[in-house]
Amino acid sequence: MNAQDILARMDALETRCPKLGHQVTFEYCRQESLKRPCSRALVCWNHRLPVEMILKKLVGEETYEAVFGGPPKSRVESLMEAIESAKQRCNAGGSGPREAPS
Amino acid sequence: MEQIKVFLDESEMPRQWYNIQADLPTPLRPPLHPATGQPIKPEDLAPVFPMNLIEQEVSTERWIPIPEPVLEKYALWRPTPLYRARGLEKALGTPAKIYYKNEGVSPPGSHKPNTAVAQAYYNKVFGIKRLSTETGAGQWGSALSMACQMFGLQCRVFMVKVSYNQKPYRRSMMETWGAECIPSPSDRTQAGRKILAQNPDSPGSLGIAISEAIEDAVGDPEARYSLGSVLNHVLLHQTIIGLEAQKQLEKLGVYPDVVMGCAGGGSNFAGLCLPFVRDKIHGKNVTIVAAEPTSCPTLTKGPFRYDFGDTAMTTPLLAMHTLGHDFVPAPIHAGGLRYHGMAPIVSHLLEEKLIEARAFDQLETFTAGVQWARAEGFIPAPETNHAIAAVVQEALRAKEEGKEKVILFNWSGHGYVDMAAYDAFLSGKLTRYELPEEEIRRALASTEAFPKP
Ligand SMILES: Cc1ncc(COP(=O)(O)O)c(C=O)c1O
Repeated sequence: MNAQDILARMDALETRCPKLGHQVTFEYCRQESLKRPCSRALVCWNHRLPVEMILKKLVGEETYEAVFGGPPKSRVESLMEAIESAKQRCNAGGSGPREAPS
Repeated sequence: MEQIKVFLDESEMPRQWYNIQADLPTPLRPPLHPATGQPIKPEDLAPVFPMNLIEQEVSTERWIPIPEPVLEKYALWRPTPLYRARGLEKALGTPAKIYYKNEGVSPPGSHKPNTAVAQAYYNKVFGIKRLSTETGAGQWGSALSMACQMFGLQCRVFMVKVSYNQKPYRRSMMETWGAECIPSPSDRTQAGRKILAQNPDSPGSLGIAISEAIEDAVGDPEARYSLGSVLNHVLLHQTIIGLEAQKQLEKLGVYPDVVMGCAGGGSNFAGLCLPFVRDKIHGKNVTIVAAEPTSCPTLTKGPFRYDFGDTAMTTPLLAMHTLGHDFVPAPIHAGGLRYHGMAPIVSHLLEEKLIEARAFDQLETFTAGVQWARAEGFIPAPETNHAIAAVVQEALRAKEEGKEKVILFNWSGHGYVDMAAYDAFLSGKLTRYELPEEEIRRALASTEAFPKP
């Protein structure tokens, strides 16, 4: 089996995502965060796939380190970051949230 | 006939929430603002939360009165019954007595409305017109939709697109309760539009949905954002579960040896356990256990237990095996296992060793959930199955030791909108993968590597 076939088979595997609360495929987990792997991908897939080796091959060592190298952000930290960047977007863009087209 | 349920009368419903911050042996470390490194100030949170909830977030008052209009709404399904799980006790052949709070009796089917109703009320009295939030599978989104309807607020839910497509019934519930449910990424926010421009087919993620919901609130002075777990005020609202349970157990004349709950963000676990943590701080001998999801190399080896590497929580969790000493955790565990979604209060209690955490693999949790359904009838939410797996383990331990332990746990919700997950389990889609590592390694070593994403 070549790498493409192997990837296709792995991509179709499903697990339950503890963040979303339903089934997702490996294909989703390996590019969940703006095409980068979800930071839980190792925990969720380690018992079924040699996921460290696969992700390093897929995204490269540098991206891998950026995602899994340091301690993950706490939810409060990411909340504060989201507030700061939303404030910047609303101030800069001026448009802010848009209502549904009527 | 032996007694199965203990009810409280509506007049016996607790009139106050319990705030653990008043009793912590060491105070919570104030969360730091990532931009400034300084403790987060109330005004940092003001663009997204009303000041009355921010006051609760930082309060150290032990008892916080539950407003009358919130009690009135709670009374639609509260006090929730305390059950004895005799069917499971029999199936396990355990001398343990297993009690559970059934939080699945609320209209959306989980503990989530305990805080949704309170948050909608406080936003309403603060003069807010609309709440915005994100949701994955839709448990939280549906609870908030119902709560907003109860207090005449508009509700906008950014639902991760992959979940939106996969969970049509949760979406219908939100719309039935009058909320606007939008698949994320959407064209409603700059954050969403940017993602769509890069990738029109993006399935979305919780991170993107959070960005959209927050931008939606920040950009509209009449709107605020609402979070269904993690924050102190959310855990506070959930303590009604544990306070009711204490009254119900008192009626039976029993006190638990072990109190358990599943922990994603930590809210239902904390809701049941915090009043018992208070007792523990004051000298009671009670073990309090949070059950969380992980992967595990073999099911037969049992779950891992986690500990913080140091008290400042700067190092990742260390995995330790609870059964046997032959398993050496792979190094990747260290980086991956620290749960980034956990409530600061729950993390703090873990550091203080007032509670412990055990982790369970999804195969083990679904096995426990199916065993539960067959013994007790009610089909649990897949999250709840983590608590049930922990209870089964504890009850079997009690059997081995021949001890008549009293176990109390939180049955956080039913699984009727989640039958696809049971289907995946029952049809074998969650079993371990048999594609040999050697084959993967050989394919990757060959000249044609994976296509780049
Ligand atoms: C039924 C149920 N239990 C538990 C959880 C986990 O959340 P928390 O840890 O905040 O209670 C969820 C989250 O959606 C849920 O729906």
